[in-house]
Amino acid sequence: MVVEKAGSSPPKPAGERCPQQQEPLGHVKKRQQQVCDGFTIKAMMKNTVVRGPPLAGAFKERPTKPTAFRKFYERGDFPIAVEHDTKGNKIAWKVEIEKLDYHYYLPLFFDGLCEMTFPYEFFARQGIHDMLEHGGNKILPVIPQLIIPIKINSGDGIDYSQQKRENIGDLIQETLEAFERCGGETAYINIKYMVPTYQSCILN
Amino acid sequence: KKSEVSGVMAKADIKPKSIHHAKKWSDDVENLYRFQQAGYRDEVEYKQVKQVDMVECWPETGFVKKLQRRDNTFYYYNKQRECEDKEVHKVKVYVY
Repeated sequence: MVVEKAGSSPPKPAGERCPQQQEPLGHVKKRQQQVCDGFTIKAMMKNTVVRGPPLAGAFKERPTKPTAFRKFYERGDFPIAVEHDTKGNKIAWKVEIEKLDYHYYLPLFFDGLCEMTFPYEFFARQGIHDMLEHGGNKILPVIPQLIIPIKINSGDGIDYSQQKRENIGDLIQETLEAFERCGGETAYINIKYMVPTYQSCILN
Repeated sequence: KKSEVSGVMAKADIKPKSIHHAKKWSDDVENLYRFQQAGYRDEVEYKQVKQVDMVECWPETGFVKKLQRRDNTFYYYNKQRECEDKEVHKVKVYVY
């Protein structure tokens, strides 16, 4: 005799029973979620978790490619004497600065401002300093060739340390101010054209 | 100029009698610091070794501007003071 509970629905045939209610006895279904890549068939399944996109590396420090300054320095093309007993704050020049071809050397030294390792960074910075201090009227004709490397160096320092960026920024600012002072009437306009963020040190 | 040169040549034979270390910075100490950085005792020895009668200086401050070292390379110095206080005691002052 079959005892039916009050209010229960009539028994359905075995084939029409809800499949979800069927659980094999003695077997525990795993509910562990699986990790998979996005945009795959597996990602559309239930119980799967799509792992996030890989890092694009936008903020990763990018090593600078070797500059022309480094290549020339390592070839020994610069009129600089490398000293092993130096105190580290002065360059010994093989040739008098006043006799150097500024059109050739000054843009190369500015290109070396991208370098962040010793001795390249030191020689580039100190070399520019010496050449600007003692160049006099030799600097003026070279200014147009310097604006582009200055612009590149002022805008590409995002991965460098704050201290280095401030030193390079100060040097660039000082250089542009020197150009403006000795560049004549049209100096400011030309500098502003190439470096729009530059603020005049003469005009209000 | 010839008299200056002859004066220099006469000084070439003179060597310092005594030496002491600088205690306080001054313009003279600054120039001594620059000569000694380039490998010379002072202006006297520089003129003797390089056979020159003039040393290039900054007109604004009077500090040495450019020196040629013994290996014939050149040192260029800033217009303003370079010798820090912590370096002053290393500067040697020669007395003739």
